Amino acid sequence: MATPHFTVHQPATLEEALDLLGRHRASVKLLAGGTDLIMKLRAGATSADHLVSLNRVGGLNRINYQDEDGLVLGAGARISDVAAHPEVRKHYPALAHACSVMATTQIRNMGTVAGNLANAAPSADTAAPLLAYRGSVVLVERGGRRQVKLEEFFKGPGLTVLEPMEILEAIRVPVPPNRAGSCYLRLSARSQVDIAAVGVAGFLALDLDGCMMGVRLALASVAPTPVRCPEAEALLEGQRPDPQLLARAAVACVRAARPIDDVRATANYRRAMVQVLAGRVLQKSLAMAQGGAQ
Amino acid sequence: MKNPAIIGASIPRLDARQKVTGQALYTDDLTMPGMLHGAILRSPLPHARIKRIDVSKAKALAGVKDVITGQDTPQVKFGNWRLVPQSQDELPLAVDKVRFIGDEVAAVAALDKETALRAVALIEVEYEELPGYFNVEDATAEGAGLIHAESEGNVSLARKIKYGDLEAGFAQADYVREDTFRVHAVSHAYLEPCSSLAAPDEGGRVTLWTSTQVPYIVQCLLASTLGLPENHVRVIKLNTGGGFGGKMELRKWEFCAAFMALRTGRPVKFTLSRADELAFGRRRHGMTIRSKVGFSKNGLLLAKDFDVLLDGGAYNSMGPTATFLCGNFGAMLYRYPAYRYLGRHVYTNKPPAGAMRGFGAPQALFAAETQMNMAAHDLGIDPIDLRLMNAMETGDEIPEVATISSCGFKESLVKVREMSGWDVKRQEKRPGYGIGVGCYSFISGGVFNWFNTKYNFASAEVRVFEDGTAHLLTMATDIGQGSDTVLRQILAAELGIGVEKIRLTASDTAITPKADLGTWGSRVTLMAGNAVRQAAQKIKEMLIPVVFGHFDLNQIHDIAFEGDRVFSKARPDKGFGFGECVYKALKGRRGEPLTAFGAYTPRNKGLVSPAFSFGAQVAEVEVDRQTGLIQVKKMYTAHDCGVPINKMAVEGQLEGSIHMGLGYALMEDFVMKDGRTLNTTFLDYKIATALDMPPSESVEIDTYEPEGPFGAKEAGEGLVSPTAPAIAEAVFHATGYRCADLPITPPKVLQGLGRLKA
Ligand SMILES: Cc1cc2nc3c(=O)[nH]c(=O)nc-3n(C[C@H](O)[C@H](O)[C@H](O)COP(=O)(O)OP(=O)(O)OC[C@H]3O[C@@H](n4cnc5c(N)ncnc54)[C@H](O)[C@@H]3O)c2cc1C
Repeated sequence: MATPHFTVHQPATLEEALDLLGRHRASVKLLAGGTDLIMKLRAGATSADHLVSLNRVGGLNRINYQDEDGLVLGAGARISDVAAHPEVRKHYPALAHACSVMATTQIRNMGTVAGNLANAAPSADTAAPLLAYRGSVVLVERGGRRQVKLEEFFKGPGLTVLEPMEILEAIRVPVPPNRAGSCYLRLSARSQVDIAAVGVAGFLALDLDGCMMGVRLALASVAPTPVRCPEAEALLEGQRPDPQLLARAAVACVRAARPIDDVRATANYRRAMVQVLAGRVLQKSLAMAQGGAQ
Repeated sequence: MKNPAIIGASIPRLDARQKVTGQALYTDDLTMPGMLHGAILRSPLPHARIKRIDVSKAKALAGVKDVITGQDTPQVKFGNWRLVPQSQDELPLAVDKVRFIGDEVAAVAALDKETALRAVALIEVEYEELPGYFNVEDATAEGAGLIHAESEGNVSLARKIKYGDLEAGFAQADYVREDTFRVHAVSHAYLEPCSSLAAPDEGGRVTLWTSTQVPYIVQCLLASTLGLPENHVRVIKLNTGGGFGGKMELRKWEFCAAFMALRTGRPVKFTLSRADELAFGRRRHGMTIRSKVGFSKNGLLLAKDFDVLLDGGAYNSMGPTATFLCGNFGAMLYRYPAYRYLGRHVYTNKPPAGAMRGFGAPQALFAAETQMNMAAHDLGIDPIDLRLMNAMETGDEIPEVATISSCGFKESLVKVREMSGWDVKRQEKRPGYGIGVGCYSFISGGVFNWFNTKYNFASAEVRVFEDGTAHLLTMATDIGQGSDTVLRQILAAELGIGVEKIRLTASDTAITPKADLGTWGSRVTLMAGNAVRQAAQKIKEMLIPVVFGHFDLNQIHDIAFEGDRVFSKARPDKGFGFGECVYKALKGRRGEPLTAFGAYTPRNKGLVSPAFSFGAQVAEVEVDRQTGLIQVKKMYTAHDCGVPINKMAVEGQLEGSIHMGLGYALMEDFVMKDGRTLNTTFLDYKIATALDMPPSESVEIDTYEPEGPFGAKEAGEGLVSPTAPAIAEAVFHATGYRCADLPITPPKVLQGLGRLKA
């Protein structure tokens, strides 16, 4: 395999980074942990003469939680740091779990959550929990900033609403209500270290009557983008939890999936596993909400 | 028999520090002044006739120094089975036809790799596509086109074994069953992708540094394909990052490197990528195995009929040996009064299958051991009891094939039952929990001279010096298994000096003594070990008279070599330091160095091997009955490898075997479409990682193999076979799903449980 040649730029501020993007617009890419990008460059799946690294941009690796504003993850926040962060573990356990089981130790130490989202693989492990937690992304370009809901961010495999000169600056997640539970389960049919063949994230809270509210279910690896399960969510919203209902919702999740056959699994197996994992995710989320863990 | 303390010692590899600190040199680390980089053009089609090749654009590219096609070469066919010339079915570069996606068509040497790759893309080939055959059924179907014009119905060779009265055996049987098993191809996945560097030498000679298991075979076949005298070709193996059977032939880039080095007068290097290795590299044979067995109602084996179709891919490669051995492994482990084997090696339009760790045993034993477990279930006999009733013992004979000179199989079964808590756990009814057993036997090197060598199978030269050190020269090939360490332990044990005193020169065909057939078939410890012992004993014969003469010892004294001294056993004060003894001998020889040659060739050892290893393994699993996911919780192994020379190295082989066997059982698989391999990265081609590895316990059964050095036999390959049948049986025990077609994937488990539509 031939080695790709490119120039790496190391801006210290976001301003500089935006300038560099503009200056080299003909052939430029942003570089975060590089765990997706470098592989693609090596394989010749993409090319760029210039890489603008975000690794030395000041303040970008922040992980910040506040009871009013919720969670802010800077674009430089590493997957392993997010996994280990006490506030993330406490308030967003499904995200912390996704960050602790995805990829490998080495990749988690280099890779970023922002890179995971910007890369927009259908299998991106952080996407489903962030969808379940109602996350959004802050995008910045020289003209200004905009905030986009995560469910509107993904456009297809490898495609997002990011404009060529735009940088994903941060990820924002609102504060979850009291009496909430959430869970992310992922499965590879082959090895402990693998891209997920199916991922399911769920979130729910209980109101004073014990009815479910704010229910969110999201799937990874079973459609061209990470997707929500509106039908299943509607089925549960405002209802009192009972096992049959949860099971019906799990079946409804399968209808949100549009899986394909690939080297990892068949569409058939994926569909069956959406149901199994969704059922388990709902049970675990419910138990967590009932246990008052949040 | 009491062995010296260095035998069985757990000493770390003598090359470990160099390797873990990154100092060890592998072939791709080498560069030379003026060196060119090679790249290969491969066939994009599975089966086609070559109509026209135009290399003019590639030649015209700046930086390109040489471009070759089959037409430029001497077109000498080659293959490892020199004994049967018609089995040699490969050309260094395709001439008239291509037979698999990846078949080598042309090669370029250029100033840098990028240019070489660009030039390859500029070569124009016009093909006439032919129908492709991607499985043994299609390839052997009536009317199928021939992949090689010389073969009969795409069956490249067949092997038969027959002994006992089969009909009578089945007629007598109370219980007969017939099953078909399918096992898949997997990758060697050695860490070091192949790399070769050739440099022209004076007088039209050439030197090749290459990542290989068989320097001697490469030397001979390279010489014949180049049309050079053998002695004009020098092959040197540097550190080699694994092989597992995948590096035991002459490879086409070895030829191209040498051929273009001679044409251009410059060194030429080829290094494959992982994607090349996975897409086009050798693999383990996939097989379709039909097996029929008959038992008496109390569980005695009476007859077995074993019929195997090997999916050979486009060329014979090491298929003849796999076909041969598969038949032997079909009838190992137990006493079969009557046995019939028919193995047919079938050409298909896929990357050739070759030798791979176990050499026909993992496939044969998956079928045989699974069928044993099925029979035990039907007969209502515990699977370990059924095995004990039929197990081979020391002294057993396989008619016309082999005599079992040592066998710790029954002991292995008893031990593994005890250490795993089998009797209690087998009764456990926890949902999703299962425990299963699988066994193996393997060869300690082959006795069949398929390479038709005129030399000994293994050789060694030992030189000793007056400073108390020694030099061991051998063509035996350490590819990571640790033979460089083990052979030094054997020499140290004979001469009574420390391993650190021994310099080793290995695997250089111009310097090390002829010959050694290389690393495969778990042959090195036994064969090269015996050669080293013989050379050392000759050295001792040179030293013993010095002690007798100097001390005027009585004839009846016995001389010991121990603790860097040579002395009378009865009167330890009568003796010298080892170096001093060499010095005195050297004086007596008027300066002629003390050098001795040792060799080993198995003679009168039947058709297969001089010695056989045995063992039994138990797997515990947990199966998630909703997802079909299988977790291997623990492995227990009791095995008989004779006397282990280096315990740590044996443990390493066991761990590595479980890793490979588990991958074979559960996850490794080539995803193929119309002859194309779709998973060509380690992200997509899954081998087990450290996180998938279960904890494991093991015990070595105490046996002594009379034919092996210090009682040793093999530990490198056999252990890879029991894992898949043990796991498959544990999955059956856990779920009731019986897998007869590897790998055991979660969807298959769910289908077996009726929870997923096919
Ligand atoms: C062995 C291996 C295993 C893996 N396993 C998994 C797994 O299990 N699950 C999983 O989800 N992923 C996995 N990945 C993929 C990858 O590691 C993750 O997607 C990771 O989060 C990417 O982050 P990064 O910082 O390395 O991104 P980079 O590679 O640096 O960037 C990825 C893409 O996003 C763009 N980008 C990065 N940052 C920004 C930004 N701030 N604004 C705009 N665009 C940006 C880049 O230009 C590039 O196109 C694996 C990768 C490897 C090599």
